[in-house]
Amino acid sequence: MSKFSHIYIEERATNYPVAQQVLKRFSDSKRVIIRHYKDVFNRPHQDFRRQKASTKLILAVKPEPFLYPGPEVCESFGNQNFYYTSPILNCIYDCHYCYLQGLYPSANIVIFVNIEDFFGAVDRQLEGGTLYLCPSYDTDLLALEGIVPYASRWIEFAGTRQGLRMELRTKSANYGAIAHLKPVEQVILAWSLSPGEVAQRYERLAPTLKARLSAIKAALQDGWQVRLCFEPLLKVDNWQQIYGKFLDEVFSIVPAERVFDANIGVFRMNKEQFKRISRLRSDTDVFAFPTVCREGGVVTYEDEEEMREFFYRHLSRYLPQERIYG
Amino acid sequence: MIYIVTALPCEASPIVRKYGLKRDSCRHFPLYRGDGMCLIVSGVGKMSAAIATAYLLAYDTGLGQTGGEKGLAIINIGVCGAFHQRYPIGTPLLVNKVIDHETGNQYFPDILIEHPFEEGSLETYNHVVRQEDVLSGRVEPQADLADMEASGFFQAASRFLSPHQIYIIKVIGDYLDVVDFDRQRVAHCISGIMGLLDGFIKGVEGLCRVEGDVLTPDERQQLEKVKKSLRLTVTQSHQLMDAARRYKLRTGRQLPDLTEFTQTQIKVKAEGKKAFERIRRLLLYE
Ligand code: SF4
Repeated sequence: MSKFSHIYIEERATNYPVAQQVLKRFSDSKRVIIRHYKDVFNRPHQDFRRQKASTKLILAVKPEPFLYPGPEVCESFGNQNFYYTSPILNCIYDCHYCYLQGLYPSANIVIFVNIEDFFGAVDRQLEGGTLYLCPSYDTDLLALEGIVPYASRWIEFAGTRQGLRMELRTKSANYGAIAHLKPVEQVILAWSLSPGEVAQRYERLAPTLKARLSAIKAALQDGWQVRLCFEPLLKVDNWQQIYGKFLDEVFSIVPAERVFDANIGVFRMNKEQFKRISRLRSDTDVFAFPTVCREGGVVTYEDEEEMREFFYRHLSRYLPQERIYG
Repeated sequence: MIYIVTALPCEASPIVRKYGLKRDSCRHFPLYRGDGMCLIVSGVGKMSAAIATAYLLAYDTGLGQTGGEKGLAIINIGVCGAFHQRYPIGTPLLVNKVIDHETGNQYFPDILIEHPFEEGSLETYNHVVRQEDVLSGRVEPQADLADMEASGFFQAASRFLSPHQIYIIKVIGDYLDVVDFDRQRVAHCISGIMGLLDGFIKGVEGLCRVEGDVLTPDERQQLEKVKKSLRLTVTQSHQLMDAARRYKLRTGRQLPDLTEFTQTQIKVKAEGKKAFERIRRLLLYE
């Protein structure tokens, strides 16, 4: 069945302008009125894999809290007061290694329509000082821009706030959807990149490396601050060769001197999520290389450090060390 | 395997006929079996529907003990009343929302396949709902349809199955204006949808089919022998299966020959552990 064949709508969400826009955009979808998004999203025994093949939309109103402290496994890039927020849950891409498969009970996409309440929470937080915020962690806002224009809403909002610094992380090549906006000093557009063959094999439905690089180039030309996220670095046969060549390819298109900063993150995942996902994904070899569980319950490759060192060495041929994190 | 729950024998009979199901010797319920299909007649009411559904799924499939076979689905089929006259009598609807009238709880099957039906919502009541109840305001409809089983059926089924394995198909039998219950009319309503139902069942079977394991039956058998002869613990057994699957996914090759380990007779646990470590290394690093 086609994507978004059904839209589940919380009764109280119906009159929000965002809900109206989405319903207009998908006027052929079946509409099912619900009381609370968790009645659908949190049903027991849902089949994440099968749902991915026919994802539904859920429109809901998010109650407090809106902001969460940044998780320790995520890089804060030297920023204080690191928070993330989730105006949308789940993603239209289908990366084999996606941690959301182990985090959420459902593959359906929840859009919280009360975006103004999220902005209100940010304003309240800003009264107490600066804020470093990531609203595109548990989703890919730019990829979803055609469904709900939250990437642009967040950018426009951030542009009017002092003390706010925001990272919009994406694998999308959909830069055209926000190209009409003026670059905003408070916002960093952060692209996650993987070698072409790795993306093709493990990042189902996400744009090719080439398409992402073209988007980055266009964003840089327009004057945006762009971050390159080299994560997760994945173990594949001949990984040294593949990742070495990959960096050459990236910087043959992206002018290194214009890149704001970059980070490196070898594949790692919370132990429980890893267990759940590897059980779910017997169709992929992405978790087939030897892993270890480190202190704090984080699973990573046995030779994580070697991989990181190798990549760091290669990346520092292009970027100064003070601009490399992770 | 497709399981079907109907409330009444007259709802069951067109299905029993169409699929050539044979009466089973079950003492607790009228139960019919055929090739890849099993039908139970629950009796009227959500409690009866829940009991029959739980019986079927817990005992017949083995889900109760073992986690059982996964390639199955269950469908509640029957007639119902409609609150409005948008659809003619005899129209089948695939239910996308069930409301339990007494508790207010709502349930949602996962509709992941194309299907030939209209969709609608259904409210399950403990009692028969009549037009005059609605007209007088004693009943305030929250859905398109009314029945007396679906919420019990769904609650019981979702204890065992995923929401994409649970379906409810209701055929509009009346507009809550029935005076005399007519078995033949009910059977006629169900007969009228058999063609659509057949196509739907095929779609559901396709969706619920279990994906093949990367390990072949022979390989699984050999691994079972290894587990036994090395007297592996439950955790070690899981680790062994996991390492074997990873090996195949990573290398794309058949498992290496493990006969040597199936013939080892372990006397003390430490020996088993040592041999297990050897296999693990073989599978993870080769
Ligand atoms: S882009 Fe990110 S959020 Fe989306 S599927 Fe891939 S890993 Fe998950």
